Amino acid sequence: MEYTPVVAQMKNQIVRMMEDLERALQKPPSERRWGMVIDLSKCVACDACTVSCKAENKTPPGVNYTLVIKEEVGTYPNVREVFLPRPCMQCENPPCVDVCPVSATWKNEEGVVVIDYDVCIGCRYCITACPYGARTFDFGDWYTKNTPMLAPYETAPTFEYGEERVRQDDVSPIGNVRKCNFCIQRLHEGLLPACINDCIGRARYFGDLNDPDSLVSELLRERYSFRLKDELGTSPKVFYLS
Amino acid sequence: MTNEKNEYRVSPLGKTAYWVVVVIMLAIGAVGLYWRLTQGHKLANYGQLIVWGLWVAMYIYFIGLSAGAFLISALVYAFGVERFRPIARLALFTALISLLMALLNIWFDLGHMARFYEVYTRPNFQSMMAWMVWLYTAYFILLLVEFWFEMREDLVHRGQEPGVVGLVCRILALGSKAVDAETRRRDQRVVRVLGAIGVPLAIMFHGGVGALFGVVSARPAWHSGLFPLLFLVSALVSGGGLLLALYAMLAPNRKSEEYKTLIFDLGRLVLFLVLLDGLFTFAEYSIALYGAIPSDVAPLLKTMTGPFWYVFWIGQVGLGLVIPTVLLAWKRTRTNPFWVTVAGFSIVLAFVGVRLNIVIPPLSVPEIQGLVEAVPSARMTTQYAPSSMEWFLAIGIIGLGLAMFAIGYYLLPVKPHQGKEATL
Amino acid sequence: MSTKDPIQETLTERKITRRAFIKTSAVVGGSLAVASSVDHAFRQMAGFSQPHFAGVQAAEGYPLNNAENIIYSVCLQCHTSCTIKGKILDGVLVKIDGNPYSPMNMLPQLSYDTPPAQAARVDAKLCPKGQAGVQSLYDPYRITKVLKRAGKRGENKWEVISFDQAINEIVNGGTFADGTTTPGLKEIWAVRDPDLMAELKADSMAVAAGDMTLDEFKSKHADHLDLLIDPDHPDLGPKNNQFVFQAGRIEHGRKEFAKRWLKDAFGSVNWYEHTTICEQSHHIAFQQMTNQYKGEGKWSGGKTHLKPDFANAEMVMFFGTGAFEANFGPTPMSELVTWSLTYRNMKMAVVDPRLSKTASKAKWWLPVKPGTDAALALALGRWIVENERYDAAYLVNANKAAADADGETSWTNATWLVKIENGKPTRLLRPNEAGQGDLDGFVVSQGGSLIAFDPNDAENPVEGDLFAEGVVNGIQYKSAFQLYKEETMAHSLEEWSEICGIPVRKIEEVAREFTSHGKRVGVDLYRGPVQHTNGYYTAAAIIMLNVLVGNAGWVGGMGPGGSHWHEDGSKSGQPFNIVKGMHPGKLGSYGVTLTREKWHYEKSTLFKRDGYPAKRPWYPYTGNVYQEIIPSAADGYPYPIKALFLHKGTPGYASPAGNPTLAAIADPNIIPLVIADDVVIGETSMYADYLFPDTAIWERWGTPHTTPAVQAKTSKMRQPIIDPLVEKVTVFGQEQPLGMEAIMLAIAEKLGLPGYGVNGFGDGMDFKAAEDYFLRMAANLAFGDKEDGSEAVPEADEEEFRIFREARRHLPKAVFDEERWKKVVGDESLWRRVVYLLNRGGRFEDFGKVYKGEKLAHPFKGLFNIFVDNVAAGVHSLTGEHFYGLPFFEPTKDAAGNELPQENADYPFHLFTFKHIYGGQSRTPGNYWAQLGVASENFVLMNKLDADRLGLKEGDEVKLVSPTNPEGVWKLPNGEARPVVGKVKPIQGIRPGTVAASWHFGHWAYGASDFVIDGETVKGDPRRAAGLCPNAVMYEDPVLKNVSLTDPIGGSASFYDTPLNVVRA
Ligand SMILES: Nc1nc2c(c(=O)[nH]1)N[C@H]1C(S)=C(S)[C@@H](COP(=O)(O)OP(=O)(O)OC[C@H]3O[C@@H](n4cnc5c(=O)[nH]c(N)nc54)[C@H](O)[C@@H]3O)O[C@H]1N2
Ligand SMILES: Nc1nc2c(c(=O)[nH]1)N[C@H]1C(S)=C(S)[C@@H](COP(=O)(O)OP(=O)(O)OC[C@H]3O[C@@H](n4cnc5c(=O)[nH]c(N)nc54)[C@H](O)[C@@H]3O)O[C@H]1N2
Ligand code: SF4
Ligand code: SF4
Ligand code: SF4
Ligand code: SF4
Ligand code: SF4
Ligand SMILES: [Mo]
Repeated sequence: MEYTPVVAQMKNQIVRMMEDLERALQKPPSERRWGMVIDLSKCVACDACTVSCKAENKTPPGVNYTLVIKEEVGTYPNVREVFLPRPCMQCENPPCVDVCPVSATWKNEEGVVVIDYDVCIGCRYCITACPYGARTFDFGDWYTKNTPMLAPYETAPTFEYGEERVRQDDVSPIGNVRKCNFCIQRLHEGLLPACINDCIGRARYFGDLNDPDSLVSELLRERYSFRLKDELGTSPKVFYLS
Repeated sequence: MTNEKNEYRVSPLGKTAYWVVVVIMLAIGAVGLYWRLTQGHKLANYGQLIVWGLWVAMYIYFIGLSAGAFLISALVYAFGVERFRPIARLALFTALISLLMALLNIWFDLGHMARFYEVYTRPNFQSMMAWMVWLYTAYFILLLVEFWFEMREDLVHRGQEPGVVGLVCRILALGSKAVDAETRRRDQRVVRVLGAIGVPLAIMFHGGVGALFGVVSARPAWHSGLFPLLFLVSALVSGGGLLLALYAMLAPNRKSEEYKTLIFDLGRLVLFLVLLDGLFTFAEYSIALYGAIPSDVAPLLKTMTGPFWYVFWIGQVGLGLVIPTVLLAWKRTRTNPFWVTVAGFSIVLAFVGVRLNIVIPPLSVPEIQGLVEAVPSARMTTQYAPSSMEWFLAIGIIGLGLAMFAIGYYLLPVKPHQGKEATL
Repeated sequence: MSTKDPIQETLTERKITRRAFIKTSAVVGGSLAVASSVDHAFRQMAGFSQPHFAGVQAAEGYPLNNAENIIYSVCLQCHTSCTIKGKILDGVLVKIDGNPYSPMNMLPQLSYDTPPAQAARVDAKLCPKGQAGVQSLYDPYRITKVLKRAGKRGENKWEVISFDQAINEIVNGGTFADGTTTPGLKEIWAVRDPDLMAELKADSMAVAAGDMTLDEFKSKHADHLDLLIDPDHPDLGPKNNQFVFQAGRIEHGRKEFAKRWLKDAFGSVNWYEHTTICEQSHHIAFQQMTNQYKGEGKWSGGKTHLKPDFANAEMVMFFGTGAFEANFGPTPMSELVTWSLTYRNMKMAVVDPRLSKTASKAKWWLPVKPGTDAALALALGRWIVENERYDAAYLVNANKAAADADGETSWTNATWLVKIENGKPTRLLRPNEAGQGDLDGFVVSQGGSLIAFDPNDAENPVEGDLFAEGVVNGIQYKSAFQLYKEETMAHSLEEWSEICGIPVRKIEEVAREFTSHGKRVGVDLYRGPVQHTNGYYTAAAIIMLNVLVGNAGWVGGMGPGGSHWHEDGSKSGQPFNIVKGMHPGKLGSYGVTLTREKWHYEKSTLFKRDGYPAKRPWYPYTGNVYQEIIPSAADGYPYPIKALFLHKGTPGYASPAGNPTLAAIADPNIIPLVIADDVVIGETSMYADYLFPDTAIWERWGTPHTTPAVQAKTSKMRQPIIDPLVEKVTVFGQEQPLGMEAIMLAIAEKLGLPGYGVNGFGDGMDFKAAEDYFLRMAANLAFGDKEDGSEAVPEADEEEFRIFREARRHLPKAVFDEERWKKVVGDESLWRRVVYLLNRGGRFEDFGKVYKGEKLAHPFKGLFNIFVDNVAAGVHSLTGEHFYGLPFFEPTKDAAGNELPQENADYPFHLFTFKHIYGGQSRTPGNYWAQLGVASENFVLMNKLDADRLGLKEGDEVKLVSPTNPEGVWKLPNGEARPVVGKVKPIQGIRPGTVAASWHFGHWAYGASDFVIDGETVKGDPRRAAGLCPNAVMYEDPVLKNVSLTDPIGGSASFYDTPLNVVRA
C-alpha cells in the first residue's frame, strides 16, 4: 500500500552521464560517437545552456555556439510557445567541412567537427555552408570595450580545444569562425559539456551513441526522436525528443 | 576631346579631373585601410547571417569583369576573330587589373589576411573555394605571361624611348631585345596557345565561382545548377560591357567606318549576352518563384521588394537590361560613340547590383526560422548595408584599379588601335 | 542593423579607454584597473605588456574543476539564492555553476560526505542569471570607493572621499559643495541608556493603552521629554526612531546583522525591507491562514510560504506565477517540474493573463482578467463544494487529536462556529458565549449540538458538522465551511466566469482534474494574484483550494520545504546564540513605526487625537510596507524623519508609482541626511548624500534561507569567493573590505554603540568585522540543531584543510586569515567542522530523507484557518470597518476604501508586468550574457487583435499613460522627464485588453547614463538604458496622492490594477 515517492528512486542523471563518459573514454577515440539528445518536452527556454556556453568559452557578443529558438504557435487563446535549442549538430556528413579551403575544420575521430584557430583564414565560407546556422564569425567585438573597464571575464583564458588561450585584439580566435565543439576540452577530462551540466530543465543529455548502455542511447531507444533537416543527409548527432 | 587624326587624347582638364578623383578615392581607401588594419572586422556591417557583404560582391564582380574581358580577348587570340583585335590587348590588360582588384577585395575580407598561403599548404580538394584560388593563381600567371608575350615586341620598341616610359618598358621587357619575324611568330604562337588554355581556365574558374555558391545546399537561393552558367554569361556581359565602353570612348578615329563596325559588332555581341543573361535570370527567378518554397522565394522577394528594391529594378533591370538593350538595339544609338559608351557603363554599373543581389539576399534568410530572434545581436540580422569602412576600402580599391589602369595605359602599349596595325 | 559610423567609433573608443584607465580607479577598484587590460595598444603604452593572465598560471589541462580552484557560495541574482560553485583562475571568478552538494542544484544531489575533490568534477545546474553573476561582479560601473555628492542631490556629481571622513561626517554632520549641511547621527541617537529605553517604552505603552495619563508620563519623564519625537505622543518613541533603515532584497544573516545595529544598538524601530513591493500579501495570507491559536485570543506561528511537492504531485495549479521564469525559483523548480511533466504525466493549469513559459507546457492556460483571481478561485471552490469533491473526512477534524487519528498532520477550522452579527460573520464563537463553559477554545456543532474544544488538544479528537448554522444564547452562528460555501455561492459559475474571464467549461475541467488525484495536487501562487489591493483576500481564496483537498504534509501535496538548521544559535546547546543573545549593553527600541505597521490604530494615542479616518493607513497585519516609508516621511506622518540609510534597495524605481518617492528623497527638507550603499550608482541611491560601495554577493558573507520548493533541509553559506573589488578600510583596528557590515561597524565605533568592538559579543568575543558574526553563524550550522551535538557535521581532515587553504590562496589577510577565523570559532573541533561546512558551501540533508512513506519528512503541521479570526478582529484605519475573516472577491479600492473603476473609455487597457528568466530585479542590466545577451530590451506586449485595432505594428514606439500619470513620464527630480516609451510587440499569448511589459529594463542610472566623479565624466553605456520600466504610470492612490495603491491587510503595493492607454510616442 505504501506509496514510494517517485523521485526518491531517481539516480542523478548528471552522475549517470559522467559514468557513461568514463566508460567511453576507456575506448579508443575512434570507437566513441559523441552525441547530444535534447528533450523538447523538458526544455523551458531558460537559455542556461546559451549562457553556460558563453561563460565556458568566453564567446564575445554575436558569437553563440548554442541558442534557443522560441516561437509562438497558434492564436489566442489556443496558443503556446515552442522551444528549440540549437547547438552544432556535429553532422556525420558535415557540409561545413567540405567547403573549407584550408582544411582548417574537420570531423575528428570522435566525430566532433573542430576548427583549428591557428589555420582558419576567416573566409566564412563554412558559415554559408552550414544548414543550421551553427557557425559564427568572431568579429573581435567585446562586451565591455566601451565601458570604464574591459572586464576580466572577457580577458580570462579559455581552454577550448585543450589550449589555454587569452582572447586579444587581432589574435585568434578573433578573425576565426567559431562553433560548438561539444566542449572537447571538458570531455577529455571526463567532464560533460558545460551546457549539459547547467541545463535547469534537464532537457539536454550527452554521451556515447555507440554505447548501448549510455543514457543517450537509452533515451533514443525509448522515445521518439528526430533530427533537424534530416532530409539533407547531414546526419546530425544531435537528436530531439518530442 | 579627341584627336581625330590618330589617337585618342584626353584633355589636360580631363586628365586632372581623372587624377583628382583617383587621388580622392585613394585617400578614402587609405582611411578604410587604416580602419581595417587597426580594427579588424569590428567596423564591418556584415554579420553572422549575412556573413559576406560588399567586398565579396565586389570580388565576384571584378572576377566577372576579368573573366569576361579575358574571354573577349580570347576571341581574337584563341579563335582568331580578328574583328576584335583592336581591343584584344586592352581586354587582356583589363582582365589583369580586374583580377588584381578582385583579389584585393577578397583578401581584405579574410579574417586572417596573413594566412592566405595556407590554401596552398593545406589543400582541401573538396573545397570549391580552394579550387578557385588555385585556378586564379594559374590564371594570373597565364595572364601575365600571355600579356607579356603579346606586348613583348612593343616593349622592346618602346624601350628605346627616353624617359620614364622607355625605362619602364625596358625593365618590363626583361632583357628581351630581339624583334624579328621569328620572335614575332613565336610570340603569337605563345599568345595563341595561352589564350586557348585560358579559355577553359576562365570558364572553369568563373563557372567555379558560380559553383562556389551553387554547391552550398544550405542556401536554397544559391543551390542551383544554373548558377555556374549564369555566372559565365554574366561575366561575359559585364566584361563585354566594359570593353565596349572603353573602346567606344578610347578608340581613335571615332568617325571612321571601321570604328562604327566594331562598336556595332561588339555591341551586338554584348546585346546578345545581355539578353541571354536576362533569360537566365528570368529562368532562375521564375522557377524559384513558381516553386513557392518559402526559403527559395524569400530572398528573391527580398531582392525585388526589400529595402534595396531599387538595386534590382533600377540597377539590375533598368541599367543592366532595359537601357543597354534599347541603346544597343536602336539604330540611332547603337553606333553613336556616346550612347554606346553609356550603354557599356550602364552594364558595368548594373553588374555591381547583380553581384550584390547574388551575395546578400540569399544570405539574409535564416537557416532556421526564429534563429535571428533567438539572440539579439546587431550582427544577427537580416538587414545589411555596407559600413563606411566597407565602402571606403572598396572605393580605395577601385581607385587603385583606376590608377593602375591609367598608369598602365600611359606606360604600356595597350591602347586600342585600328585595324590590324599595331600601335606605335 | 544600425549602420555604424567608424569615425565616431574609433574616436570614442580611444577617448574612453584612455580616460577609463584614470577613471577606473574611482569607479572600479585599483587592483582591477591593472588587471582590466584596457585596450591592447594602450596597455602596452602604459607598460602593461601582457594581459593579467598569460603565464601567471600555467594551466594543467583544464584547471576549472580542481577543488583548489573552487569556493562554494550562494547566488543572489534573484532572491532564490541558489547554492553555487565559484571557479577561480588567478584570483578571478571565471565561471559559476551549481553546487552539486545542494538539492537546489542537483536532483538528487551528491551525498554530503563526497570528498571535495570529487564534487569539484561535478558541475550542477544553474539558471542563466546565476551564471551571469560574474558580469554583475565585474560590472564596469561598480563603485569601489566612498562617494560624496558634489552637486545637488541626484545631480550625479560626486567626489571621492575617504571612508574615515565619510563616517566622521555622518556621525558629526557634514557640509556640501552647494553649502547645504546634513545633521549627524549623534544628534539622532537620543536615548542611549537601555534602562531608560525600557522605562520609556513601558510608560509610553501604558499611556497608549490608557493605563497612564499623559500628564503622569510627562512629569515622570520631565528630564527626558526632549529625547522623544513628540512628548504629547510618547508612543511614537524616542528621536532614535528618526533614523530609518530601508533595505531592498536584504537576505538572512545581513538582516539580523542590520537589525542588531539599528534596533538593538541604535534604538530605532524603523528597520524595513522590501517585502510589500514583492509579494507580501501572499505571505500574510499564508501566515494568517496557518496561524496557530496560542490562547487568550492570540494567534501566531503561521508559515508564510508553502509550495507543492512538484516531484510527486499529479496536478499543479499556478496562479500568477510559474516554475520556469521567476518564483522561488527556476533553478530548483524547473527540473522537478519538467521531470514530472515528462515522466509522470503531471498536469498543470496556469492562471496568468500572459502565456508564460510554464503555461506553454501546461494542459490548461487560463488567461484570467488581472485582479480577478479570487473570482476564479471561488468559482473553482463552488464547483468543488457543489459536487462534494472536497475531502470531507479531513475537513471535519476540528483539532489535533482528530487529525492525528486520521493520519493527517494538519486540520482546519472548517467546522468551527462563527458568530453572525447583522448578517455578517464577525468572530469565532467562544465557549463562554455559547454557554459551553470557560475553556479557552472554540465551539463546533456535532449533529446540531454544540461542543467546546481546544484546537491544540492532542488527546481528545473532536469532529464537527461541516455545515452548521443556528442560534445560541441569542447569537446567530454558522460553521466556517458553511460561510465559505456561501461565499462561493455569491455568484453562479456563469457570473464568476463573467468576472474572471475564464469559460465555465474550463473552470469545470480544471476543478475536476484538481479533485481527481487525492492529495497529490497543489496550488502555488505568487505575485500575480496578490499585488493588488485585494491581494490578501485573493490569496486566501486560492490557498483555500489546497485546504479543500487537505493536501498539506502529503507527498505530492503542499509543504513548507525542508527549511534550514538554525544559524542564529537559537537552539539550545548551539555554540553562539548570536541573534537573540550575546549583545552586552543592548539598547532596544520602541514606538510606532514610520509605516504604522504591526500596530492597531486604535491602540495609539494618534487615534485619540484624529479618530477615523486616519491620515494614512495603519497596517496591523503586515510589515515592511516598503512603498510607504518615504511617502510617510514626506507627509511627516506619524512623524518626520532625520536620516535614511538606503541599503540595496531602489524604492523610487522598483515600487509602483515611484515619482513622488523620488521627489521626496531628493528633498533635504524631507530627509535631511541620506546615506546609501550600493554596488553601482542606482536610480534611487543616486540621491544619497554619501554613497558607499558594498561588497558584491560573491565577495561577502550571508546565511540565506531556502525556498519551500526544496524538500531537503538546507542551510546555505555565502562566503567570499574573491578578494572584493571595493577598497579596504580599517575599523576597530581590523582591516576589512568596505561593505554594509564595515559601514555599520565603523559608525558603531564612532558613536560608541553597545555590542561592538572588543568583547562586543561578550567576554573574549570581539565584534570587529563581518566574519566575527558570520563565522559564528557557520559554527552554529556546523553544530546543528541538536543540543547534544549529535547532529554536527564531520570534522575536516588534513586533505580538506589543504583544499580549504589552497582554494583561498588568492585572498588577502583582510579577507581570509585562517588563524583569526579559527580564533573566532574558538573550539578546535568546531573549527574543523566549520571548514568541512565551508568546503561544501553549507549543509544539506540527504535526498533519501525527504519523504517518509506517503508523507513529507518536513510537513506542515497544525491548523488551517478558513475563517481567519485574527484578521476579522482588525479594523480598517480609514473606514473604521472591520476586516473580513473569509476569502471573497472585491474590486480594486483606494486607501479610503472607495472602489476604483478598472478599464474606462480613456484607459481601455489593463497594465501588468512580469519577470523573465534573464533578469534579476532591476539590477542585472550589466549582465551582457544573460539579460542583454538573450533579451536586449523589453517590449510593450499586447494581443495582436488589440494592436491591429490600434493600427500598431511590431516595433512601433508607444507611450503608456494612466489616469494618475496622463503624461506617461518618469518625473526625475532634476527636472528631466523620461517618457515611459517602448516598442510594441503584438503577440497571441496575452489576454486581449491587457498590456504587459517585463521588469528589469528602462534604466537611466545604473551605468545607463553619464555621471561625474571628481570633475571627470564617466560615460554611461546606452545598452543598459534599453527598454522601458512601466512602474511610473502605475496607479497612484487618489486619496494619499504620493504612493501606490496598497492592500490594507497584506500591505502589498498594487502593480497590476492600473487602467492604461497606449498612445503613439
Ligand atoms: N528571473 C527572476 N526570478 C526571480 C526574481 C527575479 O528578479 N528574476 N525575483 C524573485 C522575487 S524577489 C520574487 S518576488 C519572485 C516573483 O515570482 P513570480 O511571482 O512568479 O513572478 P512575477 O513575474 O513577478 O509575477 C507576476 C506573474 O503574474 C502574472 N500576472 C500579472 N497580473 C496577474 C493577475 O492579476 N493574475 C494572475 N493570475 N497573474 C497575473 C504575470 O504575467 C507574471 O507571470 O521571483 C523571484 N525569482
Ligand atoms: N514592474 C515591476 N516592478 C517590480 C517587480 C516586477 O515584477 N515588476 N518586482 C518587484 C519585486 S518582486 C521586488 S522583490 C522588488 C525589488 O526591489 P529592490 O530590492 O528595490 O530592487 P533591486 O532591483 O533588487 O535592487 C535595488 C538596488 O540594490 C542595488 N544593489 C544590487 N546589488 C547590491 C549589493 O550587493 N549590495 C548593495 N548594497 N546594493 C546592491 C542596486 O544598485 C539597486 O539600486 O522590485 C519590485 N518591482
Ligand atoms: S551543424 Fe553546421 S557547423 Fe555543425 S557540423 Fe553540421 S554543418 Fe558543420
Ligand atoms: S572560415 Fe575558417 S574554417 Fe571556415 S571555411 Fe574559412 S578557413 Fe575554413
Ligand atoms: S557542448 Fe559545449 S561548446 Fe557546444 S553548446 Fe554546449 S557548452 Fe557550448
Ligand atoms: S538550459 Fe535546458 S531547459 Fe534551458 S533552454 Fe537550454 S536546453 Fe532548454
Ligand atoms: S534562480 Fe536566482 S538565485 Fe538561483 S541561480 Fe538563478 S538568479 Fe541565482
Ligand atoms: Mo520579490
